[in-house]
Amino acid sequence: MAEKKSIGKEFTKGLIAENPVFRLVLGTCPTLAVSTSVASAIGMGIAATAVLFCSNIVISALRKVIPQKVRIPAYIVIIASFVTMIQLLVKAFVPALDSALGVYLPLIVVNCIILGRAEAFASKNAVLASAADGLGMGIGFTTALFLMSTVREILGSGTFLSGIKDLLAVFGGDISFNGFTIPFLNENPLTVFVLAPGGFFVFGMMIALSNKLAERNGKPKAEINGCASCPMASSCALIADGKKCEEADAK
Amino acid sequence: MKIALSLLLTAILTNNFILCKFLGICPFLGVSKKLNTAVGMSAAVIFVMVLATAVTYPINTLLKANNLEYLQTIVFILVIAALVQLVEIVLKKYMVSLYNALGIYLPLITTNCAVLGVVLLNIDNGYNFWQSMVYSLGGGIGFMVAMVMFAGVRERLEGCDIPKSLQGLPITLVAASLVSMSFLGFAGLVDNMFA
Amino acid sequence: MKKLNLKEIFVPTVSLFVICAVAAALLGLTNSVTEQKIEEAAAASAAKARLKVCKDAQSFEEKTDKNGNVYFEAKDKDGNTVGFAVTTRDKSYGGEIEVMTGLSADGEITGVEILAIDDTPGLGMNAKKDEFRNEFLGKKGNLTVSKSASADDEIQAITGATITSNAVTRCVNKAAEVYQNISGGEGIG
Repeated sequence: MAEKKSIGKEFTKGLIAENPVFRLVLGTCPTLAVSTSVASAIGMGIAATAVLFCSNIVISALRKVIPQKVRIPAYIVIIASFVTMIQLLVKAFVPALDSALGVYLPLIVVNCIILGRAEAFASKNAVLASAADGLGMGIGFTTALFLMSTVREILGSGTFLSGIKDLLAVFGGDISFNGFTIPFLNENPLTVFVLAPGGFFVFGMMIALSNKLAERNGKPKAEINGCASCPMASSCALIADGKKCEEADAK
Repeated sequence: MKIALSLLLTAILTNNFILCKFLGICPFLGVSKKLNTAVGMSAAVIFVMVLATAVTYPINTLLKANNLEYLQTIVFILVIAALVQLVEIVLKKYMVSLYNALGIYLPLITTNCAVLGVVLLNIDNGYNFWQSMVYSLGGGIGFMVAMVMFAGVRERLEGCDIPKSLQGLPITLVAASLVSMSFLGFAGLVDNMFA
Repeated sequence: MKKLNLKEIFVPTVSLFVICAVAAALLGLTNSVTEQKIEEAAAASAAKARLKVCKDAQSFEEKTDKNGNVYFEAKDKDGNTVGFAVTTRDKSYGGEIEVMTGLSADGEITGVEILAIDDTPGLGMNAKKDEFRNEFLGKKGNLTVSKSASADDEIQAITGATITSNAVTRCVNKAAEVYQNISGGEGIG
């Protein structure tokens, strides 16, 4: 019974308390890049979740077999294989998503959430817990992307869920639902919100909001600390040489 | 020559990797606190980007010839990881001063999406070998320009009176938004220059 | 020099090699399963686009003009030529774009579809919207882009995306040239 409860906990922590995007500040590149439309954000979220879920399971299952020395390259190979599989599947079944995500689809390989969870969680925990962790983190990532893209698409394009048709096409049938148009904003979109500056701005506001909520619950602020949030930290020369990032900064 | 210059300026200004394509945001936010770390990190990125392109271009031709294009992602990320390790070992042994300047940033670059990104974009855009090299160089320089500019902006932010809920990361992102907006001004510049 | 421990070198190398081999095998398997499906999907979307730009067509026949450009001849149910679908490429803001242009038998543009584009969302991506693509309908090629289009051969540029507007227009003009090659050679229209 106790075991079951803890697995539930591993799952739910990724949603809010340790949301990878808003709390751990991981995976910022795809968050900013594909959040211009809700449909592509959801597509990216699902693809990354699938990779994270599978790679967490495999890495956790192999955690006693993979030699310590070559674990990072091994993780990268495992993650890259799943990314390629997802890429091929997306190309075959949802080609519209492939063209919408473009280069960001293969770049899931270097999404720090995935390598970060492999290193921080899956390499130390049992398969079931790792699976729950991967799924929770993935859904947390998708939720964050959904929130970001909702704000950006509504303000920047005056639509909501535009292009969802191509995503739903995977279930077969001819779906005519293709999102909503927002009355006034559709004719007068605040285009800057779907451009790069809008991405940084909305992300900044989201972090501010999540900080505010975290503060109310007595949790620390989300902060990017150069190394602390980086999955490569443990294999990084800064640490291997017994130095800390702060010293490097001071240098 | 004209094509090369246009590619270079496009990669630096109009399609800046960080500010327009959102590649390499982690180091952009993490390592840009101080000017000299920003310069060191970007120098290492330029170096690895150009090197990675030089190595992956022939590999891609090989993959293409054998109909193995679907292995691109996995092969490239491994090649980049191995390359970074190799460069680190070589620098440590033979060029100690360079290693001291750049070495500590090298492991961070393995999983930097800007490096894998530039390699994949070169292929997507169908550039030939020299165009790819120029585009990578431009991408790297663009990375440096953005990092250095932003480091300057952040040093200014240090002494500012910032509203409490925006302190830390949020104001950094708002500042990034403004820097990125200034780069929007370059849109169209390159094409009109060479039109 | 430190004596190399065989186990220290051997075990990591072999295990990494095994992981790579398994990964490569699995990917090969996935690829063999999806390869055909990917080709089918590409063919299906091209066929769909052709029907969109040549609405009266019942079937298409792939042909090549005298300069080696591939085009599709649209036929109605009696086998008469009712139009052409030509795919052209040009460089745009964020890389190459691919445009399919439909032309009627007498050379009027009947439809423009953007097949591939990687431009800025909110600006260049607006080229996909109907308002812009419909500007081409009924025109005959040799078009120019202007910020306030008034003449017949002018296309109104998308706000904030002159480069994309130009690229699409160049693609359409190229398609019109292919039509000239076809009609010049075969005397259609």
